[in-house]
Amino acid sequence: MTFAERMLHIDRRIIFLVIAVCTLLPLLYPVGLAIKVSPEVRGVHDYLESLPEGSVFLLSMDFDPASKPELHPQAVALLRHAFKKNLRVIGMTLWVTGTGLADLVFSQVAQEMGKVNGKDYAFLGWSPGVGALIITMGQDLYKAFPSDYYNQPTRELAVLKGIQSLRDVNYVVSLAAGTAGIESWYVFGKDKYKFELGGGCTGVIAPGLYPLLRSGQINGLIGGLRGAAEYEALIGRKGRAVAGMDAQSATHFAIIMLVILCNVFYLFTRTSRGQSGQPRG
Amino acid sequence: MIYLRRQLPLLITFVMGVVFAGQYYVPHPRSELMLTEVTKWLQIIGGFALVLGVTSLFHLHAVKIRRREPGWGYSIVLYAGMLGTIAIGLWVNGKESVNGAMTAFGWIYSNMMVPLQGTMFAILAFFIASAAYRSFRARSREAALLLIAAIIVMMGRVPLGEMLLPVSGDLTQWILNVLNTSVRRAILIGVSLGAVALSLKIIFGIERAYLGGGRE
Amino acid sequence: MPFETVLGAWVATGLTLFIFTFLYQDNPLFKLAEHLYVGVSVGYTIVKVYDTVIVRLLYEPMVKQGDWSLLIPLGIGMLMLARYVPKIAWLSRIAFAFIVGVGSGLAIPRVISSYILKQVEDTVRPLVSLASEGGPTFTYNLLDPASNLNALVLLIGVVSVLFYFFFSVEHTGPVRVAARTGILFLMIAFGAAFGYTVMARMSLLIGRFTDLIEFADPRYGRASLWLLVATVATLIVSSARRREQPPGGG
Repeated sequence: MTFAERMLHIDRRIIFLVIAVCTLLPLLYPVGLAIKVSPEVRGVHDYLESLPEGSVFLLSMDFDPASKPELHPQAVALLRHAFKKNLRVIGMTLWVTGTGLADLVFSQVAQEMGKVNGKDYAFLGWSPGVGALIITMGQDLYKAFPSDYYNQPTRELAVLKGIQSLRDVNYVVSLAAGTAGIESWYVFGKDKYKFELGGGCTGVIAPGLYPLLRSGQINGLIGGLRGAAEYEALIGRKGRAVAGMDAQSATHFAIIMLVILCNVFYLFTRTSRGQSGQPRG
Repeated sequence: MIYLRRQLPLLITFVMGVVFAGQYYVPHPRSELMLTEVTKWLQIIGGFALVLGVTSLFHLHAVKIRRREPGWGYSIVLYAGMLGTIAIGLWVNGKESVNGAMTAFGWIYSNMMVPLQGTMFAILAFFIASAAYRSFRARSREAALLLIAAIIVMMGRVPLGEMLLPVSGDLTQWILNVLNTSVRRAILIGVSLGAVALSLKIIFGIERAYLGGGRE
Repeated sequence: MPFETVLGAWVATGLTLFIFTFLYQDNPLFKLAEHLYVGVSVGYTIVKVYDTVIVRLLYEPMVKQGDWSLLIPLGIGMLMLARYVPKIAWLSRIAFAFIVGVGSGLAIPRVISSYILKQVEDTVRPLVSLASEGGPTFTYNLLDPASNLNALVLLIGVVSVLFYFFFSVEHTGPVRVAARTGILFLMIAFGAAFGYTVMARMSLLIGRFTDLIEFADPRYGRASLWLLVATVATLIVSSARRREQPPGGG
């Protein structure tokens, strides 16, 4: 076995160790590289910024703990921005296992920004049905959510005064980790009820949402932790996403190096096999 | 009886499918009222479907415990975790927080479920790195193209990459906005046509797999 | 710091490290955490369904607001649970027929409007635009997604990928050229998807490591450090025991 072949078959735990070190070191010793803001993220930010005080903003946190590191910072940044703009905020989730996270984000950021539940914001919690739920909300919000997460009748909440359905919502942003998210909000919501829609999503599903972005079906897209870092930079409140960007850089470069090394070794093995007359693998 | 068991479900599917596909084009107040009521029902029935989905695990692990199969102890851990969570959850009326204070149910969620599920997916970072090293090889021109696109995007989406190779950011934007969009759009159109065709087959009783088991 | 917060940090750290041990090899600590995860998740879902569906969507509207029409979805939902009783399992078909029928009906027009018409509309844009003086012009800016050049590339991409996937004629002549072009577009899109998947997975790892670093703080009793030592020690003991056991034993 040649050196290149041995290198191609190294114990995978060595690779694991490289990734762990590349993640850990920048988190312990951050450098703070500059972050460039993309037009997609600016789309969401600028629309939210343009809304007058008292406009209705619905944030649907359609993810579960599996995507927390990517979407939780997005939710925090969006809520800070919306509360700072004194918008009327409605929170909810389409994912049952995301209810606890959504509740925690809302109560923590509201407390930090001095906002009161029922007066400045409403947290509706989770309800099943995805598409059916969105349609019911589009028809009659109070049929879909007769009470909020804390079992208070929604009709009595001051923050919802004058809101009858999704048609009265100025801006909806879905933070999605799957198809029950931005796509559902478009197909079952915006298509008929004509509110403006923006999105935030995990890196895995981001490329699949570009067709909707380009056709104007969504007016912006915050993609993954990088998108969250851009939003944090835009509102001038650096948080967990910006802090994670150095580690993100280091791990990406580690993977790029691994891919290059693998191909160099592969080239060597092919050349040596070719010279010794063995069939190519 | 055969009619009730086989023909009635097909008739319900047909009638409901035709009515609600047609409803989209008839925005009459009565038609809208019907939509509101029925989607509300669907919302509630969706909750029952969710229970049906998650409880299928019960049987599997109960059998494992009863037969003392290898690893049955872990099935007991599963049951203990589930029953403990249910008991505590019902005790606090299913709320993770009350007046801003975390409940015991919220504590289980934040300190058990969040780290467990989060880490379960985080370890994929290591496996994707290992897979990239072992199998991401430029064996053909197409594979080389895939590899180059991946490297550009990986560079263009992190600050260090944009600093070392400033063009990578713009290139990434172009790849995503134009090349990636065209492919995703073609797939979206194709998949949507397939989904519409499948829905029509269901409504007209050609596709019946959803009716599943149960005696005839 | 409150006791429950510190205890929470220790539990969260311990469970995180238990899952990470799988990177070394499959072991009892990982299996324990894995089964606990499934159990807690199922328990959590059941409680949320109870609180949301039974209490907030059924009990309160029926009892407090007198909306007895909700007995219909309750009945259909109960029919669904008939699947657990073999003798009447067929009744669940009625519930499934209702869900699938309404679901399909709702989806058809909305999917056609949202995904087919809107996407086709944005693909077949004018390839030449009008300049301010009124004459036709062709914009070449690659960085502007709306430029004419990009509109042309997008059109070629969509058509060639559709050709590759959906035209079941033999790929020869012009069809071969179109299908080959489709493959090139696909490869680039897959590369971009891989890049984004790497980004996503690394972000998740960063999230977990950030928590571990936070819990290594003295305020939490240096939970991460102590539990890391304990977990590694357990792994060493477990590996040593495994080696001592004769092959095939246990």
